[in-house]
Amino acid sequence: MTFRKFAFNNVIRNKRLYAAYFISSMFTVMVFFTFLNFAFHPLFSESDINKAVFTGMSVAGGIIYVFSFFFILYSMSSFLQSRKREFGILMIQGMSTQQIRKMVFLENMLIGFLATMLGILFGVVFSKGILLIAENLLVMDEALNFYFPTKAIIVTFISFILLFLFISIFVTFILNTNKVITLIKGDKIGKSEPKANVFLTLIAVALLGAGYFIAVTVKGASVAVALLPVVTLVTIGTYLLFSQLNVYVIRMLKNRKGLFWKKTNMLLFSDLAFRMKDNARVFFMVTIISTVAFSAIGTLVGFSSLITDGMKDVNEFTYSYTQDEKDEEEIVTVNRILDDYGLDYEEREIAAYSAMIDDRYVTIVTPEMYNEFASLIDQEPVTLAKDEAIIVEPDSKREMIPMNMVPLPSAITLKDGSTVEAVKTEEKVNPNVLLTMGAFYVVGESIFEQLPEPENIEYMYAWEVTKGSEDDIINAGRDISQEILGFTAVDYVVYDINKVWSPVLFVGLFIGIVFFVSAGSFLYFRLYTDLDSDREKFAAISKIGLTEKEMNKVISKQIGLLFFIPMSVAVIHGAVALTALSHMFGHNLVRESVMVLGSFFIIQVLYFIVVRYFYTKQIRRAM
Amino acid sequence: MLEVKNLSKVYEGKVPHRALTDINLSIEKGEFVGIMGPSGSGKTTLLNMIATIDEPTTGEILINGKNPHTLGKNDLAKFRRREMGFVFQDFNLLNTLTLEENIVLPLTLDNTKVKEMEEKAYAIAQKLGIAEILNKRTFEISGGQAQRVAIARAMIHEPSLVLADEPTGNLDSKASKDVMEMLSRLNKEEEATMMLVTHEAQAASYCDRVIFIRDGKQYAEIHRGDSQKVFFQKIIDTLSLLGGNDNDFSEVRI
Repeated sequence: MTFRKFAFNNVIRNKRLYAAYFISSMFTVMVFFTFLNFAFHPLFSESDINKAVFTGMSVAGGIIYVFSFFFILYSMSSFLQSRKREFGILMIQGMSTQQIRKMVFLENMLIGFLATMLGILFGVVFSKGILLIAENLLVMDEALNFYFPTKAIIVTFISFILLFLFISIFVTFILNTNKVITLIKGDKIGKSEPKANVFLTLIAVALLGAGYFIAVTVKGASVAVALLPVVTLVTIGTYLLFSQLNVYVIRMLKNRKGLFWKKTNMLLFSDLAFRMKDNARVFFMVTIISTVAFSAIGTLVGFSSLITDGMKDVNEFTYSYTQDEKDEEEIVTVNRILDDYGLDYEEREIAAYSAMIDDRYVTIVTPEMYNEFASLIDQEPVTLAKDEAIIVEPDSKREMIPMNMVPLPSAITLKDGSTVEAVKTEEKVNPNVLLTMGAFYVVGESIFEQLPEPENIEYMYAWEVTKGSEDDIINAGRDISQEILGFTAVDYVVYDINKVWSPVLFVGLFIGIVFFVSAGSFLYFRLYTDLDSDREKFAAISKIGLTEKEMNKVISKQIGLLFFIPMSVAVIHGAVALTALSHMFGHNLVRESVMVLGSFFIIQVLYFIVVRYFYTKQIRRAM
Repeated sequence: MLEVKNLSKVYEGKVPHRALTDINLSIEKGEFVGIMGPSGSGKTTLLNMIATIDEPTTGEILINGKNPHTLGKNDLAKFRRREMGFVFQDFNLLNTLTLEENIVLPLTLDNTKVKEMEEKAYAIAQKLGIAEILNKRTFEISGGQAQRVAIARAMIHEPSLVLADEPTGNLDSKASKDVMEMLSRLNKEEEATMMLVTHEAQAASYCDRVIFIRDGKQYAEIHRGDSQKVFFQKIIDTLSLLGGNDNDFSEVRI
């Protein structure tokens, strides 16, 4: 048995011991690979519009890689922790530190190599599955075809072999083999409690506060500039928060015996204190990863809803069309196509006055004209006295892009040179009823008659479909749009946007989910690292007399804290990030944020219930 | 106080194994009883059944006239933490807790007032000579100290019965002697009923009475007179009659 053979056998024959570490490494490789597989997809590298997407994906890829590194390093060190005894025994047999290092290095490389290979293999299968689902669920014209991802394979392979090589070297150095006795005693020796530092705690609060403040107050395009500093501030702040706050809270609890010595609290808190260092690390990583997931998905959902909602808001009618010169032919064509598709619809038309005021075309209509269109989509009609005039301005909050248009002058010049004051109406007048961009006037009958000769008459047509399938509406819209330039069929436009966006959206959602799942696997790994010691502990206490109910309570709280502390912080981070985002777009994303964060929360609760069930079952088996 | 009637235990399996046959014994309040026998004689099986950790196949166990084995799982756990105290060979202390916290654990589970717990913990720690190290952690102390902490934990709630399973098995002779002296003193001072399973004659000589078990059957019973030395000799004699291999009795010291 050569030394290399020994190291090799040690892994192969101890499969079960290595399984947790191996699986989590493999999972990480798989995630990274699947991600790259999409990032390098021909669809994204070929088309121009997706250049920005590619940049975004590269950044996300970088983050995944950095976190893979920490995750594997963390898994590795807690794996070695559980094997201290073994090293102790080997050293008693006369193995030198050099040899142990060599063994750990060889083992690690073997595991790393296998994990990389298998991770890529599963990744290929996994991405194929994802693509199948995606094709069936989403409207995709430029479908995300399955391709053989040579580039992704090569990049993943090299990245992870390097990563494992680096970690293997790194880990052998932190492996402290000075005292055989400490190795033999293994995890019986308590981990030292980190000391809380007032200064660092203050820094944590300051960093988080500053990060949040910048994120919330920055407006418009500077959000993009502020992104990197804010992310840095919040990341460091979060780490300090967990490593410091943890210590403070636990110490405070421990000093309050009334609370600490109450029922099962002692078991719970002492455990938290014991694992403080590990927990801080895991909390930090899970929080950051979840935040990335929330923000990525929130951004995409927000952005797509921004576009489609914006379109639908501005275009109230199923179809609309504006002619500068009356052309009945075109209208006949439109109606013929609509009839061909068997759609039931109502059609309205008005001839709006258009004149040059302050170098721009301004539309003026009578209340009658306005109401003609308003009634088609069940909007409130306006009533004006014969000599009244009002200005209707677009609702800036609902606009897709806030248009800082110069407001219309309040004075309207009449034929005889006199002027009429138009007031901004308090009443609810829907600015999108007319097919104009921006503001317009509604004036009473007598004023309208006295207006100077129009420079132009705008013939506006609106169709509202009362009965017809979604598909027919979209198809009819497409046919008409091809026939008549400038015709607006909002459903077709939205469909078109979705078609372009859906692969991007899909990949974004996928990335978010991947991040979220890896956060879940972190937690799972953290939990199962302590399974054995928990089992031993509960077995011991149950002999003294711990009821099953009490045990369940302790375990629920233990797992609950692990699952929901990082989650809550991530939700707060995510909410701030989405607020900043909504400032950038100038669009309210509350509904989307609540939806995204809420669904993640529900998933997390389900995950918690499942994990708790199995963990409790595992522990109970020992009792 | 403790009544064991016609107790038998059969371990089911492909080849059923009879671990205990018709054990009858009773322990009075305040008595200190030892159970001895060679390895595999069924001592620990008996102790586990009295401890309600294991279920008897036939027969019954009455503690203060009640049969704990008729209780449900949760009530049983509560019964254990209120009525019983345990001392194990490997201490079974939780290494996430300080010594004091380990000692008060049975009381915290029962939601006792903090002040009362502190007082009780200090009082018993004084008696056992571990009051100075109460704030230390389990990995900072010696085996003898750990076992004394375990005894403190077993006694803090004034249980009706203290069960000790080879409490000196992991200790050197000096620590063994200390621990046994503590146990016997607590037995006298607190009038605690105690049952000790051991295969060390030295440890057993601290008992009032020793019951010998061989191959799952009661074999003999000897009582202690005034002299511990004479009693020790009697135990040695009985053990040699009991037979078995010499190395069944690890540390026979004369």
